[in-house]
Amino acid sequence: MGSNRAVQEAVSSNPSVTPQIVESTEALTVILLISCWYIAMINRVERHLNLNTHAFHSKLLFEIEEKAKFLHPINSSATNLARVLGSSLNGSAKLSFSEIETRVAPVLFQALSTVTYLSQISYIGLEGLFFSYYTERNQTFAVYSNSSFSSDRSDPNVRKNYISYIQSVNNKTGKLYGKAIESPPLSMINTSWFQAALNSTHGYASVETGWNNVGDLLFLNSARINGGGVISLGFPVEALTGIFTSMDRQDESSYLATKDGKVLIDQGLPNIHMVLDNNVVSLQLMKPNGDQIGRVGNVSCSNLKDGMPRASILNIQEKEYMFSCLLLDIVGVPSVYLLGFPQNGLVSLVHKNKKVALLLLILMIATMVVSTVSFVLIIIRAAKQEMHLCAALIKQMEATQQAERKSMNKSLAFASASHDVRASLAGLTGLIELCYDEVALGSELHTNLRQMDTCAKDLLGILNSILDTSKIEAGKMQLEEEEFDLAQLMEDVVDLYHPVGIKKGVDVVLDPYDGSIIKFSQVKGDRGKLKQILCNLLSNAVKFTSEGHVTVRAWVRKPSLQNSIIASKRNCLPCLFYKNSQAYNDLEAMNAAQQDPNAIEFVFEVDDTGKGIPKEKQKSVFENYVQVKETALGQGGTGLGLGIVQSLVRLMHGDIGIVDKEIGEKGTCFRFNVLLTICENISCDTAKSEALDIEEGCTHQMTVSTPNPGLCIRTPSPKLAIHTPSPRLKASHVVLLIQNNERMRTSQRFMENLGIKVSVVKQWENLPFILRKIKHKQSSGKSDLSSPNEHLSRSPSSTSITIEMDKPLNTIDGSDYILSVFKRTTPRCTSSFILIVIDASAGPLTELCKIVAEFRKGLHNTCCRVVWLEKPTMRSISFKGVEDDMINSNDVIMSKPFHGSRLYEVVRLLPEFGGTLHGNIGKQKRESMPQVRKMPGDHPSSSRIRSYSENYMTQRVELQDHSSSSETPGKKIFSSIQNLSHVRYSKSRSPLRHGKSSKEQELQECGNPSNEKFLSGKKILVAEDNLVLRMVNVSSLSGLGAIVEYATNGQEALQLVCNGLSDKRKHGASNILPYDYILMDCEMPIMDGFEATKKIREMEKDYRVHIPIIALTGHDASSAEAKRTIEAGMDAHLVKPLRREDLLKAIRIIDNKQKYV
Amino acid sequence: MDAMSQLRRQLHEHTAYLRKEGFLDDQFEQLQKLQDENSPDFVVEVVSIFFEDSEKLLNNMARALEQKIVDFKQVDAHVHQFKGSSASIGAMRVKNVCIEFRNYCEAQNVEELFGCRCFRCIQKLQYEYALLKNQLEYLFRVEQQIRAAGG
Repeated sequence: MGSNRAVQEAVSSNPSVTPQIVESTEALTVILLISCWYIAMINRVERHLNLNTHAFHSKLLFEIEEKAKFLHPINSSATNLARVLGSSLNGSAKLSFSEIETRVAPVLFQALSTVTYLSQISYIGLEGLFFSYYTERNQTFAVYSNSSFSSDRSDPNVRKNYISYIQSVNNKTGKLYGKAIESPPLSMINTSWFQAALNSTHGYASVETGWNNVGDLLFLNSARINGGGVISLGFPVEALTGIFTSMDRQDESSYLATKDGKVLIDQGLPNIHMVLDNNVVSLQLMKPNGDQIGRVGNVSCSNLKDGMPRASILNIQEKEYMFSCLLLDIVGVPSVYLLGFPQNGLVSLVHKNKKVALLLLILMIATMVVSTVSFVLIIIRAAKQEMHLCAALIKQMEATQQAERKSMNKSLAFASASHDVRASLAGLTGLIELCYDEVALGSELHTNLRQMDTCAKDLLGILNSILDTSKIEAGKMQLEEEEFDLAQLMEDVVDLYHPVGIKKGVDVVLDPYDGSIIKFSQVKGDRGKLKQILCNLLSNAVKFTSEGHVTVRAWVRKPSLQNSIIASKRNCLPCLFYKNSQAYNDLEAMNAAQQDPNAIEFVFEVDDTGKGIPKEKQKSVFENYVQVKETALGQGGTGLGLGIVQSLVRLMHGDIGIVDKEIGEKGTCFRFNVLLTICENISCDTAKSEALDIEEGCTHQMTVSTPNPGLCIRTPSPKLAIHTPSPRLKASHVVLLIQNNERMRTSQRFMENLGIKVSVVKQWENLPFILRKIKHKQSSGKSDLSSPNEHLSRSPSSTSITIEMDKPLNTIDGSDYILSVFKRTTPRCTSSFILIVIDASAGPLTELCKIVAEFRKGLHNTCCRVVWLEKPTMRSISFKGVEDDMINSNDVIMSKPFHGSRLYEVVRLLPEFGGTLHGNIGKQKRESMPQVRKMPGDHPSSSRIRSYSENYMTQRVELQDHSSSSETPGKKIFSSIQNLSHVRYSKSRSPLRHGKSSKEQELQECGNPSNEKFLSGKKILVAEDNLVLRMVNVSSLSGLGAIVEYATNGQEALQLVCNGLSDKRKHGASNILPYDYILMDCEMPIMDGFEATKKIREMEKDYRVHIPIIALTGHDASSAEAKRTIEAGMDAHLVKPLRREDLLKAIRIIDNKQKYV
Repeated sequence: MDAMSQLRRQLHEHTAYLRKEGFLDDQFEQLQKLQDENSPDFVVEVVSIFFEDSEKLLNNMARALEQKIVDFKQVDAHVHQFKGSSASIGAMRVKNVCIEFRNYCEAQNVEELFGCRCFRCIQKLQYEYALLKNQLEYLFRVEQQIRAAGG
């Protein structure tokens, strides 16, 4: 159906085809017409031709006749001459020769000269006298005979004597001259023509032979003169017949014969001779030698029709000829003229040409037809093809639309279905958990359940990623901005994947890099999505790495560089995008985002040593549903992860890509950058508190009066507070023994950046050797004290602090980032400090302990602390086997992922960075040390600061270092301070507690013990409809010492307040509030909290009091509901459930306010 | 004595488990702190009131959702109450389900589909509630045993 319609459409849409067909049919009809016209024309031409031929023939005949007539007058010339001559002779019949010569001859000569065609003239007397002129080749001759015969004619003798002479004649005068030549006598008297002429009065004409030597045929015209003689005029036959023959045509044949059968002209068909017989001309076919073959046919000349000769048609040699017969009288000689034409000479020519022309025409038409047809065929084929193409296009378009629709529907269905699936999954996981409780631990069912749980959780993860994809596709993904700690986030994520990696034998390392993250760790952005990105990349990295390590690092891109790039962009781009205003606006928006002064670009890298991604696949990896087959085999996954990651990164104004690794390096390195806003207020706070610290530090320094008090330097950077150590101080030494090379490398670099001297132990077997070396140096170091240059030159990486001070401090440099975080303090101990960080799983623990203990024994005047890195799971177990005295009380045991906060904490153990010196000095001091205690394990998931401060809190701080403290007066003072506040010691000491103000600490400190009953004596009204909530609230408030009344709705509360107020008035104490505070639930039946508050506020006006009302709602503090509470006149807003601290804070704020009122 | 300590450990472990699995949060601890000589059974009382209240609310909700034309405002109010009470005893998981439920209730006018979700939510809520009840009852039983043993 569809295609049919499509074809029709295509035809109608192609108007050029139809005219072409019409054209070709027109051409055909034109061709037909032409051929018809041609045939008609040919016929007409034929007809015309026939007609013309006939006309021509008749004209020809007529002409011949005319010519004959023209010759007619010659007939009478002889008679006329005879008459003239006769009269001049006066009728004398007999003439003598002299008479002839004198009287006749001149006349004859005259006649010969004047009469045309005349070639011979003669006078013949009866007696034999004879005189004649004839011309031969322009010479006139005279023939005469001067002797007459005897009168007796019968006498033959006489005859014999008859002699004639030939003499030349002068052409002009007619006189004879020259010698007369004798010639045989001409006897003309006996000839028939002479007799006939003598007898007839009108003369006689015949064809005779001439006198001349040649003997030409002549028409002889003779007439008698007075009965005594005959005059004859001879006309040459040739000359006369030439008139007729001159008109001859090629195809014609003409024959002329006298009546008596003398053929005069015989021209035309070869081998055909004519024989005249009694007005009937018979044509005879003759052989070349003259033999007759046969008769061809007769032509009758007798009957004439309308004066025109009738044509008779003869077939000669298979060719039709038309013969016409004419009776002519030439010089008086009756003769027959036969004229033959080929019957259809011209017509046949026409016929012949006609055929050729027709052939040509047909050929032409044929070529035309062929070309037209082929043209039409080609056109039709092209049109067909076009139609097919059109149909295909339409089909394709329909299919595309359908596919799009389907895809849309699918996405929608996807979204809704995954919601449902999620609900069912939640049910499943819940049920599995339920089953957990009832199944015996360790049984097969338990394992199965655990597996089911894992599967369900995996499923949930996949579902979430699909949901994310559909969300992104629908463009519904939006950023949820919140403040968070970036460094914390990164550490959390890395810690999350650390156990997974460890299980596979892959170490997941958090590389502090240049420390810039720590500086700008308080940021505002979408925490969840950033975490999702990192988790996704990290899980991929861990998944596809079978050995080696996965490194996560992040840094802040230098703002100056970024700005300059933007600036350069701004310069050149407007001209490029001038026309495309939309694009330009986008760019502006982007620039605006980037130029937000607080927005800083963070770059993250996730680097693994896995199989890597082939170069050609690197682009497609970010497309949805694409997995690199070779590596993904057997790993599962939907292939959605990176697509989502890319979308998320772009959502955060960044981009993600794969960083090319150097040849030989394994694995993949994903790098992405995002824009996050720096939290200003926090950094201000930090700055302030730091400034405070600096002051403290300075004053402190003043009071303790270090050997070099002038060295308290206020650096231009507000964040930097570096107290130069006394020149005699030796830098702390850190020994690292970490199993994983990458982790070792990053830790080492980080520490070296801080100016710490780091020794790296690759194998645990080497540890004793290195330690020995250090010990040796330490012992010899005493003599080195005066020459600090020695350790300056030791290694450039372990730069001493003095060198670092030379650097321009306002430039932002890698090490400065870190320095800004870790404030240096002057150690109060000149003895050097050695920190040994040992990975407990790097070697047999007992051996390691022994080595360390051995090392400790030989130490003089040197603090030494050991940090043990333990796997979180085997902590308590592994140390059980170790003897107590192996582990020093000051030793720190840390759970394993040694990076992030743990690394910083270790750094802070160093005296330069605020660490205390409770290393044991010498063996003799060990006796006085308190009992070796194991430190309580820190929770790997707890926040970095809290876990460590807790560590220190529980750690009993004892001052055992009397000998060293006595060396410096400052130390003593300090330690006494430590003693005083030993409980909060670590907190007040911790230099990184920039987030919390001292005020808050104080609050907490004084709060907790006295908090217990801080509401004692206060009267509080609780308005709450929910029984459970009311009970909880009431009892928790009374627990705080308050007297609590309650109301179940707003109405009741209002009533109670009203009663209370009026009671007070009665007692005259109207300024005393009936309730110190009212806790108001907002959503209550009968009267809700808002209305009740409004009513109470109205009521109090009369009494001029203000009862503080605290709203208790189930909504977030930022929600609209919370705002409504304030608008309704409530003083504070608390979120359910009621928390002591919150309540405390709210009450404090309210109290403060009231104080000022 | 051994039995006593075992019971104590059991109690401790169970409490920790409940915390870990998110059944309970800090609020419950607060509640326990409120318990003193004056009100030795405070927690049990509160929780039992909570149970009563919750069952009533759940029934109301179920009934409301069974109506042909569901009054989502009413359901929402119920859920809100339930959320409040569960939050006050520190039943975190129940509270979270309530929050989810409320989101759907708020969106219910837009899509009919969310009506179906509400059914699912109430099922989930009932399930979570039952779970919590089981766990708490077990906890109280252990406590009672301890008390009976003279602890």
